[in-house]
Amino acid sequence: MGAAGAAGLVLQTVALRKHFGGVQAVNGVDLAVPPGDLRAIIGPNGAGKTTFFNLITGDIAHDSGAIYLGGEDVSGLPPHQLSRRGLGRTFQITSIFRRLSVLENVQTALLSHHRRHYNVLASARRLYRDEAMALLERVGLCAQAAKPSGIMSHGDQRRLEMAIALASAPRVLLLDEPTAGMAPRERHELMELVAAIAHATGLTVVFTEHDMDVVFATARRITVLHQGAVLAEGAPAEVRANREVQRVYLGQPAEGGH
Amino acid sequence: MVSVRALLALLVAVAVAPLVLAPFFLQLLTEIAIVGLFATAFNLLMGFGGMLSFGHAAYFALGAYAAALLSRRGGVPMLLALAVAPVVAGLGALLFGFFIVRLTHTYFAMLSLAFGQIVYTVIFKWKSLTGGDDGLLDVWPPPYLKSPMAYYYFVLAVVGLSLWALHAIVDSPFGYALRAVRENPRRARFIGVNVRRHQLLAFVISGAFSGVAGGLFAFYNGSVFPDFAFFTKSFEPLVVALLGGVHSFFGPLAGAFAFKVLEWLISRQWPVYWPLFLGGVVVLVVVVLPQGFVGLLGRWPWARPARQG
Repeated sequence: MGAAGAAGLVLQTVALRKHFGGVQAVNGVDLAVPPGDLRAIIGPNGAGKTTFFNLITGDIAHDSGAIYLGGEDVSGLPPHQLSRRGLGRTFQITSIFRRLSVLENVQTALLSHHRRHYNVLASARRLYRDEAMALLERVGLCAQAAKPSGIMSHGDQRRLEMAIALASAPRVLLLDEPTAGMAPRERHELMELVAAIAHATGLTVVFTEHDMDVVFATARRITVLHQGAVLAEGAPAEVRANREVQRVYLGQPAEGGH
Repeated sequence: MVSVRALLALLVAVAVAPLVLAPFFLQLLTEIAIVGLFATAFNLLMGFGGMLSFGHAAYFALGAYAAALLSRRGGVPMLLALAVAPVVAGLGALLFGFFIVRLTHTYFAMLSLAFGQIVYTVIFKWKSLTGGDDGLLDVWPPPYLKSPMAYYYFVLAVVGLSLWALHAIVDSPFGYALRAVRENPRRARFIGVNVRRHQLLAFVISGAFSGVAGGLFAFYNGSVFPDFAFFTKSFEPLVVALLGGVHSFFGPLAGAFAFKVLEWLISRQWPVYWPLFLGGVVVLVVVVLPQGFVGLLGRWPWARPARQG
């Protein structure tokens, strides 16, 4: 810790490395995400996307390199402190509070965001209700606010997780395969929603995604990982035209059937 | 879901009980209240925090011994001794919980069991302080609370206040975050909750209220014994909570009622078969009524509209 990252970047990794046994899963990745970016991180299976994500979110400890959030070195901080510093995320496997109501899911995230979660004296029922409803409205779940969240459809649970993540007012939102398990039309709807929210609030979004249609339709910039390192980076059109990318990735038969 | 009317009816019933019931039943009700508090405190962890403790007798016993020792050896008045009981039990829970919440699931349960047995062993062996196997005798309330009726009302007041406080905690922002931790610790961390610290705080609160139950029981029983900390005692709140329903705040209280009444009915006639019968009932409840006895309430026709509302 100590050294500051480049000014003006919301999220930055410098020479980030992680190996598992003899496999160099992430091999010196430099990533620079400016404010308001809508960044896709793509790559073939085994390219290191998920490991890279888990390094940023503190789920896995990295071997070397540094991670900066808004210029501040956050390497090695536990998840709850990363969350406090403005890193929001959703998980590859939908991660909500299943036996709480839809409203309570978001209310709880708001209670924690406002640092009221140690309060044992107040009644939580009415706290941040309006704010929670506003967030649910944004993701289109108002009508289901009273439902137990675990019985909603998969797509709606994905939306709820988005609302939970937004409740912490993140500076950067990391979405790990946000459309996994969704039908193609749902995928586009969800990512349009993400883009709209990012556009309206100036939120920075970084996401991984298997569906190239979704990636090229949504992302402002794309970073391509290959064998644990950055192969290419640029606007969608540039990446699509990149010969290396075509060779290792785009030219391959489409994956994602699993 | 428990309506105000039902609560009022319950209050009136327990308030007039001493006027119509024989002293024996008054003692039974007193025990039900104490066990109900113990199981409700336990269920703050199990039902609301998703943490299964196999060593909660330790905190019950710490409360009981703290109260008994202060009263017998320190000459401290009962009310003060009872006020110290949850502090001692809570400190014990803080010390042991610090290590226990670092583990999850089976390992959490096993370490809590191990610490419980350590407390038992210390009480058992430290004869000069605790009286060892002989326990501490003559731990009685002051004269004005000595009659079963007076002590019954006293227990009712303390248990009522404690349940009210626990209910407020469950309903508070802390309680919401605790449920979030139960449902999904990974997600809870990423809304900014320090999961271990939250679990530890819940552990301390649960331990402290278990200590209140222990202290009340010491003066009810007139004596304390190392058995209070033994692991078989730790299963009592678990069985009681399962009987009544762990997903409802009042489940453990209902479970305490069922447990004690069944115990009285069965073990009076066939004391040898009580554990067998209890085992059978627990199996039946877990398989047929996963929501516990309280779950039955929701199946009654008059309870339906409230559920949907």
